[in-house]
Parts: sequence; C-alpha cells; structure tokens
Amino acid sequence: MSVKKIGVYICECGGNISDFVDTERLRIEIAKEKDVDSSMVNMFTCSDAGQQKVIEDIKEKHLDGIVVASCSPKLHLGTFRAMAKRAGLNEYQYTQVNLREQCSWAHTHDMQKATKKGLRLIRAGIAKTLNSKPLKKLRVKTLPHVLVIGAGMAGMRAALSLSDIGISVHVIEKEPEVGGMTKRWGKMFPRNKNGYELVEKLETELKKRDNIELLTNAELVEKDGHIGDFSVKIQVKKDHFFSLKVGCIIVSTGFETYTPTKGEFGYGLPGIVTLPEFEELLAQTDDGSKMISYNKKQIKSICYIYCVGSRQNKMMGESAHQYCSRYCCSATVNTSNQVHEIDQTINQFHLYRDIRTYGKYELLYTKSLEEGSLYFRYDEEYPPSVSFENNTCTVVVKDSLTGNQNIKMNCDLVVLVTGMIPRTNKQLANVLKIPIGQDGFFNEIHPKLRPVETVVDGVFIAGSCQGPKNLSESVASSMAAVAKSAALLLKGYVNLEPLVAEVDPNLCEWCGECLKACPYNAIQITEIENKKIAEVVPILCKGGGVCVPACPSQAISVKGYTNTQISSMIESLAKNVDIIDEETNEEKKTS
Amino acid sequence: MITTNTDSQKNEKIVTINCQFLNQMKLGSEFNATACINCGTCTAICPMEINLLPRQLFRYVLIGAEEKVLENVNNIYSCLLCRMCEENCPAGVHIAENVRSLRTYINREVYGLSRS
Ligand SMILES: Cc1cc2nc3c(=O)[nH]c(=O)nc-3n(C[C@H](O)[C@H](O)[C@H](O)COP(=O)(O)OP(=O)(O)OC[C@H]3O[C@@H](n4cnc5c(N)ncnc54)[C@H](O)[C@@H]3O)c2cc1C
Ligand code: SF4
Ligand code: SF4
Ligand code: SF4
Repeated sequence: MSVKKIGVYICECGGNISDFVDTERLRIEIAKEKDVDSSMVNMFTCSDAGQQKVIEDIKEKHLDGIVVASCSPKLHLGTFRAMAKRAGLNEYQYTQVNLREQCSWAHTHDMQKATKKGLRLIRAGIAKTLNSKPLKKLRVKTLPHVLVIGAGMAGMRAALSLSDIGISVHVIEKEPEVGGMTKRWGKMFPRNKNGYELVEKLETELKKRDNIELLTNAELVEKDGHIGDFSVKIQVKKDHFFSLKVGCIIVSTGFETYTPTKGEFGYGLPGIVTLPEFEELLAQTDDGSKMISYNKKQIKSICYIYCVGSRQNKMMGESAHQYCSRYCCSATVNTSNQVHEIDQTINQFHLYRDIRTYGKYELLYTKSLEEGSLYFRYDEEYPPSVSFENNTCTVVVKDSLTGNQNIKMNCDLVVLVTGMIPRTNKQLANVLKIPIGQDGFFNEIHPKLRPVETVVDGVFIAGSCQGPKNLSESVASSMAAVAKSAALLLKGYVNLEPLVAEVDPNLCEWCGECLKACPYNAIQITEIENKKIAEVVPILCKGGGVCVPACPSQAISVKGYTNTQISSMIESLAKNVDIIDEETNEEKKTS
Repeated sequence: MITTNTDSQKNEKIVTINCQFLNQMKLGSEFNATACINCGTCTAICPMEINLLPRQLFRYVLIGAEEKVLENVNNIYSCLLCRMCEENCPAGVHIAENVRSLRTYINREVYGLSRS
C-alpha cells in the first residue's frame, strides 16, 4: 500500500526558518505538486496547537502520508511520529525535512536561493513518503536473567541489586578471586573503611543468594542473539565451556593502573614506588605500629608526585593519557592523612599540578594542610627530577608557589601518583563489539542522557571500565545499569525500530557480499524453492545499510530507505526549481 | 648517582629543605602562615619597604628553607612590629607574631641567646 494523498506542513520555526526562506512561496509551489492534497504553513508545528491543527487536517482530508518541513529529525522525529500516529497514520509514512539546520541556518544571506533549495528538499521528502510502506515495530520477548562480567565492586553490587529485584544473575570473574582493585586497598576515602573488608562483605552476601551464580576464572568467549535473548558461551579455566541464555549483559571489567616507564620520575630506583604499591604497603601496616617501614627502613619523609601517567600532553602521540584520573588527588591526600595518623613525625611533601579533591573530598585536603602536609606546585613543562644517592631519594621541583625557585628535598620514599588506564580487554571487546572511546575506555551512547547504555542494545557498561571513577561513582553507575536492565527485563518485551535491511528473494543470487559487509552478523543464508539466498535477522540488524552498496544485484535494501525511495528522492532533488525566479500570480496582481 | 628529568634545573640555583628546621618551626607552632593567600597587601602597606616580601619569607619558613631565612636575618630585624600589615591582612595571618617567633628562633640558633 503506497501513499496517494500527501499533506505537507511547512514550519516557520518562529522566524528561524521563515526569516531566511520564503515559506509561503514554498507552500504555493508545493501545493502544485502531484499527490499533494494539503499544504500548510505553521509558526510552531511542534507546539500543541500546531500539532492539533495538523492532526485535524490529516483526518479531514483523509491523507495517508505526510511531510513536515521543519527542524532536524534529531530534535523532533519522535514528536512528529507520535503526532502522525495520533492522526491514525502509520508513523513510518511520515518524513521529516530539515529546513532549518540544512537550509535556513546555513544560507542566511540569500533568500531566493535558500527558497529554491528548500523546494528541492521538500520535493525529495514528498518522494520518500510517496514510496513509503507502513511498518510495524519489532517486538522481542525478554528473559529475566542477567550476565554480569567482572566481579569488582561495581559488578558485585550490580548482582546483589538485581537479585534483590528478583532477577537471577550469573557473575563471571576472570581472576581466581573477586573484588577487583578494591580488595588491595586499606582505608579508603571518604569514610576510611578498609577496601578488603568492603569486598569481603559483598562476597559473603553474594554467596548467600540463591539467584546469583558466581564463577571465577571465567570469561565470555561467544555471544549470539539479541537484546532480551542473548546466548552466551563461557569458558571456565582452560578447558571447561558452557552456554547460557540471558536477557541483557552488564560489563563491569574495571581499569588498570598506569605503570611508569623505566626511569620515569626515577621509577625502578630503590625507594620509588607507585601509589598502588604504597597503598598495599599501608594496608599491611599495623595501625598500632606507630611507624611505617619500607625495605626494613623506617620512613621519616615522603614525597608524592601527582599526575603521573595522567593529563599527558597530546604531543606525546596517540597513546597519551590526556584525561585526569579523578580518583588520585583524593586518594593521595587521604593516604597522607592515614600516614599522619600512624606517625605524626613523618614529613610529607606533595608535588602537584592542580589539586582536584572535588566536592566533599575538599575536606580531606583541608585536613592534610592542617596536619602539616606541604604542597608544591609544578608546571607540566618542568616536571620534578628524582635521583637516588646514599640511600635517600632527592627530588627537585620548580615550585610556582615559591616564585618558581628550584626546591630540593631529601626523602626516604617517593610515591608516584599513577592514574587509571583502560584495561586491555581485546577478546571481550571483540565478542561484545562495544565501541571504545578516544581515551581507550568503553563508550556509552551519551555521557549525560544515556550514561550506561552502549550502541549494542541490551549491553550496559558500569563502573570504571567507562573511565576513571572512584568507588562511589563506580557503584552509582552500576546501580544505573541495574535500573536499565530491570526496566528492560521486567516489562517482558522490547519494541525495536523496524528500519532494518530486507532481501528481495527474486534478485538475490547468494554471492555472500552482504554477509562479508555486515558488522553485526545479521545476515544468514537460507533456501527458498531450492534457491540459496541471503536472509536478514531483523533483531540483529542495525539498519546501517553497509550491505546495500555491497550487493551487486541491488537485492538488499533498508526498510524506510529502500532503493526506490532513495532514487526517487535523488530525481526529485535534481528537478528544476527556476519557478522560484518567476513571480507568482498573486505577486503580479499586487505589483 | 642516577638522576632523571634534570634538564629543567640546569644552571639554576637550588634551595634545599631542611627537615630539622621544618620540624622545629612546626613544633614551635606559634608560627602560622598557611592561611596566606599571596595577595601582597602586607608588602604594599609596610612603612619600612622591607626588601623581602613577608609572604615570601613565610613560604620559606613554611617549607623549611632555613638557608633562605638565614640569608634574610637583616630584613627580619628591620621590621618595626608596627602591625600595619597584620591589621590589613585579609587572611588574618599573624604577621608580626610570626616575625617575632622567627626572631626567637634566630636569637637562639644564630646568636646563641636563650630565654632561660
Ligand atoms: C591506588 C588506588 C587507590 C584508590 N583509593 C580509593 C579510595 O580511597 N576511595 C575510592 O572511592 N576509590 C578509590 N580507588 C578507586 C577504586 O579502586 C575504583 O573505583 C574501583 O576499584 C572500581 O571498581 P570496578 O568494579 O569498576 O573495577 P575493578 O575494581 O577494576 O574490578 C573489575 C573486575 O573485573 C574483572 N575483569 C576484567 N576483565 C574481565 C573479563 N574480560 N572477564 C571477566 N572479568 C573481568 C577484573 O578481574 C576485576 O575483578 C582507588 C584506586 C586506586 C588505583
Ligand atoms: S586527580 Fe589529581 S593527580 Fe589525578 S590526574 Fe587528576 S589532577 Fe592529577
Ligand atoms: S549481496 Fe545481494 S545478491 Fe549477494 S547474497 Fe547479499 S542480498 Fe544476495
Ligand atoms: S597580607 Fe596576609 S594574606 Fe596577603 S600576602 Fe600578606 S600575609 Fe599573605
């Protein structure tokens, strides 16, 4: 059923469009087009009143397809689809023409030419609607079962919360033990709870739950299926494999800490350690011992060098870690407060670039100042130098707080405050196809509005695998992933966009080109009347259309963007628009 | 001896931190200059136009740069203790009090004078 009676609604966008494009003139010309049964100019089509007017017009004239020439579909595609639906139309027989971003805003200097371009764009929209077919959303059933990958704090917390809601969980951890990084730490900011104790608490709780299955030494090796119904294959130890069906997947695989290159700030020399190494030392130091020893030597002075492996200059090349690691200022300041608690006579020097103890953690910084920690500020261009002689480390820093003078300090221990870096997880990234951001961490769809969803439907990311996060931030994002998973699974089904590829069995010769082109494994082979042809699994297809140009027989096309639609749009775009140069009859009359 | 990243310090003077001095000043604890915000009011207002800015002096004391303090003994004794600066310091640093406690230290350590 293709469209025969079309309504075209041109929006002024309160002047945003009509100040630069002659909207009324466009309406007059569009009204002359074949198949256009109604045309209208509105000041704000998206307003309630504007939408109501359009709906009445559609019903009154018994239209079966519409075009709205307004802003970018990014803004109002959903709005106008819903409007079309309320008017009794199929929402996929609506086309949005971007007359604002792609016309009026781009051509503010020449109204006549902009109007001509507008005419072309709207004609193309009409052609697209004319050749559209009614489509139905794909409905998929969801299984109330989740796979959590990585049993750090983020993963364990997610599993427990899902279990609370009544959703069963499989947690897989690639190490022999759970707890991730946190199990290595002693007193953690902000409340000074021991990291290893926090881990123990969650682990005990996890093991009590009937609806949580925890597997250590386990990794994901294969994933098939789609949102709501994934089949996953898990490898336990070297030789044991088993399969599982889950409705969605939460990835909480965490981070790695930066390891300085040999010689970077003296790393490799005795007495020079990283923050994680120092924190492990502290976690093993008895609170009551009143002293800290390193290599059997009592520590009397410590120098911390901040931002090691973070905020690197982009001149260092693509691998530079340009971001701030977020956790380390607060963690270091907190650590120095712990040191002070154990032994008040230890002198502590902090060499920083900027102190970023944001939010409530500022209090930790104030405390450390009160306790006598000394702060020195260095510029990125003049990193401190570190040397080792006579059993002590010597650090020289060009301190901008002392008029850029070089200050030398001797200390028993130098702590390099190393940042967070993305974990190398090639196999997992390959299996799940989660996009990786410029910084190397897993990428969400939208950092503000869709912070834990990925472009792979049904795969969520949580915790520090997304980017540097402290513990409370890691857990907060894992709770967000729980909420998204539960919302998806408890409803029982999901609706998906039907704009997916489709094969014309008459044209397909099964050459396999589309299968090679498809990045989502959405093409499979099937047989109709003894003829091998390609078949699209609609649920897996993202409608990206990479397969379309690959097909030598033009047998495959994407619904809503079919070959007929696209070629008719191109023809319409190319049609003559000189008519705009001529005066209209009305203009002739008035002049 | 092994050294890294030394380029920036070539041919430049280096001030060394003396932990003993640092601890002495900390223990004395009458000396308090951490609140200083480096605004320069004290410098602008000082009737003696003392060469060494109080805030620089305080920084030297704070970080335990004893050599710098000793270099500036004359400046420290030029202060009138008039408290003009202290009255006007927006951060409430006890400037004159600090100078006084520094003099106590110098009297003891440099001139060998002790209170008892
Ligand atoms: C030195 C240091 C001190 C810190 N101090 C504090 C502090 O005081 N306060 C604070 O709030 N935060 C602190 N943090 C930050 C805190 O450690 C992190 O926020 C937290 O560990 C993040 O938890 P996570 O679960 O996201 O990741 P992780 O702890 O890294 O856990 C990830 C887990 O996933 C597993 N995994 C990885 N890949 C796979 C795979 N392919 N398959 C299966 N499993 C996999 C890993 O083995 C690991 O167990 C500190 C960090 C450092 C480095
Ligand atoms: S949190 Fe602090 S130490 Fe860490 S990278 Fe950012 S500024 Fe540097
Ligand atoms: S590329 Fe075209 S002809 Fe070849 S298998 Fe795919 S749909 Fe069929
Ligand atoms: S007036 Fe006070 S705050 Fe300002 S520089 Fe002098 S001592 Fe510091």
